[in-house]
Amino acid sequence: MVINCAKELTILDEQNITEELRTENIEIDLLISAIQSKIGYDLSGYARASIKRRIAQLVIDENVKYIADLIPKLLHSSRCQSNIINRLTVNVSELFRHPLSFLSIRKSVLPYLASFPRRYIWIAGCSTGEEAYSMAILLEEVGLLKNTQIHATDINTEVLKQAQTGILTKALNKEDAERYQASGGTSSLSNYFSTAYDKHKLSQHLLDHISFSHHNVLQDKVFCSAQLVMCRNVMIYFDLNTQNSALTLFNNSLVQNGYLVIGEKESLVNSPLNSLLKTIDEPAKIYQRRSIENVRL
Amino acid sequence: MSDFKVFIGGSAGSIAPITSILSSLPADFNMIITIVIHSSIDSKTLLSETLANNCDVTVIEVSDKEKSIANNIYVAPSGYHLYVENSNNFSLSLDEKINFSRPAIDVLFTSAAEIFGKHCIAILLSGANDDGTEGLLKIKRHGGLTVVQSPESSQVSIMPQSAIDNDAVTKILSPKEISLLLLEYNDYH
Repeated sequence: MVINCAKELTILDEQNITEELRTENIEIDLLISAIQSKIGYDLSGYARASIKRRIAQLVIDENVKYIADLIPKLLHSSRCQSNIINRLTVNVSELFRHPLSFLSIRKSVLPYLASFPRRYIWIAGCSTGEEAYSMAILLEEVGLLKNTQIHATDINTEVLKQAQTGILTKALNKEDAERYQASGGTSSLSNYFSTAYDKHKLSQHLLDHISFSHHNVLQDKVFCSAQLVMCRNVMIYFDLNTQNSALTLFNNSLVQNGYLVIGEKESLVNSPLNSLLKTIDEPAKIYQRRSIENVRL
Repeated sequence: MSDFKVFIGGSAGSIAPITSILSSLPADFNMIITIVIHSSIDSKTLLSETLANNCDVTVIEVSDKEKSIANNIYVAPSGYHLYVENSNNFSLSLDEKINFSRPAIDVLFTSAAEIFGKHCIAILLSGANDDGTEGLLKIKRHGGLTVVQSPESSQVSIMPQSAIDNDAVTKILSPKEISLLLLEYNDYH
């Protein structure tokens, strides 16, 4: 790849650069619009720099010359269509990601959840399910899983199919066990999984508390009324405006005094929603919806 | 304020030169510096803390959509790719590793080239793979200044040598000379 670049290296004058970037942006907008029309996924609110890099990678993968060449492939090849969607929507997840956050949830959120006879948790952007599995394990350990429904949603129907099986995409390893311990785990992580043919599957009685369904946080409405909404490492792919509409949706999906948990490197600093949410633990990224009378507008 | 933005990438053997460069900068150094260093698995201390302890300029570990503000040094958090999103903001992603690395230097340099073009000063330090070469090529092509640590001053010369071999480099300098170059740009441009 590096060698190819060197071969055609010419230092461009400014006009050429502007024109090249302009053309590339037109191509990206056309591709995004084609995806919207063909599949119904709206990627227009995605952060530009990272989606551009993923599109550039697709151009190499699909062996085409220009970004615009991806459009006929998207329209006419179902294989290519699913490749494009899988590559443009990022699907990485792991058990007990950001243990500090899970540890703090134990202390600051679980006592609140325990005060409800029935509990609803929404995991938005669940990818292959690890986040939902982790939450089910955590609740099981403190005796709160009974009477709890975890709604796990994602835009990508393929990862949902995987998540529904309860089978981990990667076999349990030492790092998973370490994160589980750092999250305050009191047992052994492998106790919650059955093993067959090197695959690890979440115990059925835990899986029974999770419902997986399709939901697009950029287009769909309030999903449920929950005491806890977790959406981690999803909003980093959105631009600021889109982050704000997602945050509004999460806020509206929370009961008064309900909790929102976001990703380790995500931030509410630039969001107008900041005033509607009270910071419970900033490093753990845990926030609480203020009750109406406490909202200062 | 200078229009120039500084981007630094390093890997194995880059902590010593980066510390030496940053420690030579005055507290009122006003070009924004953004840094990607491949994180070593065994290091338990945060890179941003190590750097902050060794220089007078404020060091910030980037959060998603962080605003870039003059007079600060920004460092990619371990485990995330760091992009220049637009002329005011950074962004992060968990996309797959590039050149076996996340953060990857190419990700930062390439996105910087598209936003800041000829106002980029990119510096590639010691390291053991060829991350950074593609990004330097893009910055050079967009009229920016591309600098590598001289292979003889590098603890591991593979990374700067790869950039040199691919004709991605405008200047080959020692850490000391890189410090002087930055001070010169800070004062006169």
